[in-house]
Amino acid sequence: MLKPRQMSRLFIAASKDQMEPIIQELYRHNVFHIEDFVDQAKEEYAGFRIGMPLSGASEVSSELIKIRSLSAAYMVKPDDEGPETIRRTYEIRSLIEQDLPVIEKETEGLTAMRSRLENEEKDLEQKIAGLKHFENIPVDLDLLRGYESIVVFAGFIAHDVVPEVPHDRFYYPSKAGNFIVIAVPVEHRVTVEKALNEAMFQQVQIPEETGPASNAISSYQLQTISIKEQIEANKKKLAENREKYAGFLLACDELLTTDVSKAEAPLRFATTDQAFVAEGWVPVDEVEPLTRAVNDATGGKCYITEIPIDFEHDSVPVEYDNPSFVRPTQLIVDIYSRPKYSEIDPTLIVAFIFPLFFGLILGDVGYGLLLLVVSLLLRRYFKRGDGAQLVNILMIFAISTIIFGLLYSEFLGFKLLWHPLIFSRHMNIGGEGGEGAAIPGLLVMAIWIGIIQITLGRILGMINHARMDHGSHRVKAVFANLGWLLVMWGILVAIWSYFAIPYMPDLMKVPQIAAGLNIATITGILMVVIGVIFIARENILDVFELPTIISHVLSYARLVAVGLSSVAIAMVVNFIAIGMIIEPQLEHLSIVGIVIIIVGVLIFIVGHIGNAALGLIGGALQSLRLQYVEFFTKFYKGGGQKYNPFGIKRRFTEE
Amino acid sequence: MADATMTLEMIQASQVGLKAVGAGLAVGMAGIGTGVAEMGIGSAAVGAVAEDKDIFGLALLFTVIPETIVIFGLVVALLLLF
Repeated sequence: MLKPRQMSRLFIAASKDQMEPIIQELYRHNVFHIEDFVDQAKEEYAGFRIGMPLSGASEVSSELIKIRSLSAAYMVKPDDEGPETIRRTYEIRSLIEQDLPVIEKETEGLTAMRSRLENEEKDLEQKIAGLKHFENIPVDLDLLRGYESIVVFAGFIAHDVVPEVPHDRFYYPSKAGNFIVIAVPVEHRVTVEKALNEAMFQQVQIPEETGPASNAISSYQLQTISIKEQIEANKKKLAENREKYAGFLLACDELLTTDVSKAEAPLRFATTDQAFVAEGWVPVDEVEPLTRAVNDATGGKCYITEIPIDFEHDSVPVEYDNPSFVRPTQLIVDIYSRPKYSEIDPTLIVAFIFPLFFGLILGDVGYGLLLLVVSLLLRRYFKRGDGAQLVNILMIFAISTIIFGLLYSEFLGFKLLWHPLIFSRHMNIGGEGGEGAAIPGLLVMAIWIGIIQITLGRILGMINHARMDHGSHRVKAVFANLGWLLVMWGILVAIWSYFAIPYMPDLMKVPQIAAGLNIATITGILMVVIGVIFIARENILDVFELPTIISHVLSYARLVAVGLSSVAIAMVVNFIAIGMIIEPQLEHLSIVGIVIIIVGVLIFIVGHIGNAALGLIGGALQSLRLQYVEFFTKFYKGGGQKYNPFGIKRRFTEE
Repeated sequence: MADATMTLEMIQASQVGLKAVGAGLAVGMAGIGTGVAEMGIGSAAVGAVAEDKDIFGLALLFTVIPETIVIFGLVVALLLLF
């Protein structure tokens, strides 16, 4: 909690013939984060080279590519499938030898057939489309071509043309375009062409068919139907195969991925002709079991030791170490940046404050229940990965919204049975009276939240600088953070000594010293001055940032502002739907009235769903922003390296 | 011609109304200012994040810097109203 998982730096050296068993053990334990060896001509690594892959790596890779292309053909993705059957690796290996070529051939045949059929279907469609133009021509198509002394023009034209030469023509005006077929003796070709072009003639190829166009069309249509049937059968076959092979393909993929990463591991090690060295990171509590396992596997023929961490140069991989209910929030922190190894991991704090702010903003029992239902429904579709974590966050949001809804006494903008337990947000909309919203109280509450969170952020900043910095800079940085705190509180104390603000200390009664200045005012001014000195000692330019103290604290007013706007929309929806549409109709019920009431109910439903969606987006973004911008900037740097151990969690296979 | 003189109630009512107008202007125009300022930063930030996802935090930070303006507008509006 508040700290990432503690890591040890492990150094493994052995002769090359032990490489394979060691890689097996490291992979099986799935805890060793390999520090890739980079050939940088470092002194202690003189004479070392990057290793060569184990034998068989390229064969396994090409097998894996085949499996992946099959998975792509069947659109099989590991996240969509539950691990129904776990297969043994030796079974799969023999199956890969026997079945894979068969499956490959079958699939190739099916996909080739699919593309052939689809092409044929497209061809037929084009032919039919071409023939459609000639449907109304009362002449067989073979009579329209093959003459030596006559030319036939067919195509679309802007208006009818009657050439002053002997000719024969059919003209069909229609909305899609006027169609003309005109036959003239060859010697008049040029004249007619000119006349046609003047009428914006667009020539159409005369289809190579015999008999009337409609006959050809119906025969092609019959063919299309049979092609479509074949496509359906092909699709069905593919779906059946997918059902049959999905599990097998996923297991193969997993097994071969395992093989490939094992075979390619030496590429990340430093090797000489006879020996190799692997360096990496292991969580402290995993060092002992891993060391024992590797020693057992090699019969003691390897050298493993922990080497001290050099915080200046090493970039220690970071793995969160949080209780399970905080885990969804890790995603939120990761989006900003993973914490550095030596800095405070803010996930736990954010896990509480983020939903709290969301609830403060949306705070409505009805919307909370709506979000809860949505999150429960989404749970079925997102079973693992980031999606599942986001659904969990949504659920926490929903619960927080319900709790604050009870406190605000709000249900879809209506008042619940009791008086709001904290400040009321019920506005006076539609002129129906009521108490109105306690806006000053709400605002002061938001400001207090801001003051508290910023103070917390600065204190964490002091701790971080004390931990991470060195020498004189460390002292200066810690005092600069203290300086920011002093300035903020100094300004507050000075304000309190002049103005009485509700729900804040009133320092106006403190004894006066001189010229309207009382002790509190002077204390406040002193705090500001000392604070500014502390800030300036670290970096004089930071003094120009002083106004951000005010803007950051006031920024928390958005907690109230965004919330009030969603309450206002909810109340307006209620007023329009019920006050303006439904209630007047209920007084004198009529048939038309019932229709209008239904419209009113629709407005009510659509309005509230829209407002819930807006509230979700607005609430989540605004409270996220308060974490990222107002809170994290005070102490959080991030930029840590993700802990990515060598190995995978097996889901479809076992030894 | 309408009577040009105003009663006390009318003056008070118009004072309240003008306050509300002022508050609306404060929030609205500050909002426009913020929007204009965030326009450029936001599009640049989206482009930068598309190039390198790791700078999301910093990009967000730059994007929201002008939001201070609208918050000051909001505060002015609230001071006018209460």
